[in-house]
Parts: sequence; C-alpha cells; structure tokens
Amino acid sequence: MSAFLDMGGYAAYVWPAYAVTLAVIALNIVWARRLLKRSRKDALQRLAIGGSDQ
Amino acid sequence: MAWTWFHKLASPPHVYRVAGRLTPWLAWPAALLIGAGLIGGLVLAPPDYQQGDGYRILYVHAPSAWMSLMVYTTMAVAAAIGLIWRMKVAHAVAASCAPIGASFTFAALVTGSLWGAPMWGTYWQWDPRLTSELILLFLYLGYMGLRSAFEEVQRADRVSAVLAIVGVVNVPIIHYSVIWWNSLHQAPSVMRLGEPTMPLPMLVPLLMMLLGFTLFFGALLLVRLRGEVLSRERAASWISAAVRP
Repeated sequence: MSAFLDMGGYAAYVWPAYAVTLAVIALNIVWARRLLKRSRKDALQRLAIGGSDQ
Repeated sequence: MAWTWFHKLASPPHVYRVAGRLTPWLAWPAALLIGAGLIGGLVLAPPDYQQGDGYRILYVHAPSAWMSLMVYTTMAVAAAIGLIWRMKVAHAVAASCAPIGASFTFAALVTGSLWGAPMWGTYWQWDPRLTSELILLFLYLGYMGLRSAFEEVQRADRVSAVLAIVGVVNVPIIHYSVIWWNSLHQAPSVMRLGEPTMPLPMLVPLLMMLLGFTLFFGALLLVRLRGEVLSRERAASWISAAVRP
C-alpha cells in the first residue's frame, strides 16, 4: 500500500495531477447542476410574474 | 419535407425533454469508464520502462487535453451553425461548451506541468505545444468574458460565435505543434495514423479514460443545455409544463 502511495518516488507529481483532474470533474458536475437549478427557478419566477397572459 | 426532423430537433421543448432523458445514459457509462480507467491506470497498468510510475499522469493528462480540443471544436461548430442558420439551440450548445472546455484546458495545463517537472526538469517552458494550449485557455476565457459583456443574449450569441469560429485555427496548431516545431512535448501516441505506440495493458485504461471523459462531456453538455434553453425562452408556454414539479 505504501509502495502504491509512493508511486515509485513520483507521489508529489502523480497525486496532485489526479487531485486536480478529479476536482475539475466534480466542480463541473456541481456547476452544471447549479445552472439548471437556477434556470428552473428563474423560469418559474418569470411565469409567476407574467401571470395568466403567458 | 426532409427538414422537418431538423426543426423538431432544434425546437426548445424537444431539446429540453430529450436532453433530460438522455443524460443518465451518458453519465452512468462515463462514471463506470472513468472509475475503471482510474483503477486500470493507477494499479493494473505496468510502470513505464523509462518513467516508472511517473508516466501515470498520462491517464488524467491526455483525456483532459483531448477534452480541451474536442470541446472547443464542438463549440466552434455549434457557433457556426447558430450563426449561419440562426438556430437558437446551436448557440445554446456553444455557450454550454465554454466553461467545460476552459476547466479541462486548465486541468491539461496543470497535469502537464506536474508531469513536466520530474521528466523535463521544468514546470513550464514557452514551447509551441504548451504555449498554444495556454492560448486555448485564453480563447475560452475570452469567449466567456465576451458573452457576459452583453445584456442581450442574441447579441452575445452572434458576437461570441465569431470569436469561437476564428479561434478554431488554434486547434490544429495545438495538435500538430509537436510535429511542425521542435518541442519538448512528445508526438501523439494514440491520436495518430497507424498503430498506437503503447502496449495493450497501458493502452486499454487510456482508451477507457478518453471515452469516459467524452461521455462525461456529453452528459455535462446536456445538463447545461437544458439550463441555457430555459433561460433563453421568455414567454414560452411549454416552460410551465416542463418546469412545474
């Protein structure tokens, strides 16, 4: 296990590279879902303000 | 008419509904492929005969770099379709691409720099490949900045589309930079004519990651596209049916 974590002496480069990439993946999921949620909320709000003529 | 399917495809309610239904079919295979690719790349693939375990950065660097180019190309094609055929949905696709592409270009640059440090002895070099990839990040950021400078979405769509289309010349420059100029960066080992230059146990996890990232892009694009389509429709009656729980 410690040999795996050591990555043949390249741990200081390999693990940060994986961490950054996985963080970008996770952030993209959060951002995309947040965008959709906000658009839904705004759309509902517009419908409420627009009233029955829309 | 043969064009009716095209109009149906491009109609916002249809896009909203189909994108919603399609998302899990891309997201779950993407999660499985990336998970399997991570295990394959970190554990199962043998160490490299020259770079030892340091080469394992390949499994996050190459897919991120692939994303940076593939997403930009998608963005430019969508922007061109939007500009030429005045198609709102195509503009929405282009706008959805930019933050995804920018973030993976950032990942490609950071992972490349972390790979360069032990192997080349430097985190950064003003090398053709590295410089053109950095320009790609600025193109994405410029595109997003330009969009946000306009109050009106239609104007933002048209003006930013021109930037996206002009910037696409950078894509082949990045790809061929390692061939046209002397570069520290290696030449392609998978995206090339002929056989890949890698043994199978190393290649399979890489292909899984490349496919997994591509499907992940598809899923992200669909989620973002739904949001974009909703925010562009002002008074459309279908929204009430689509959004109300």
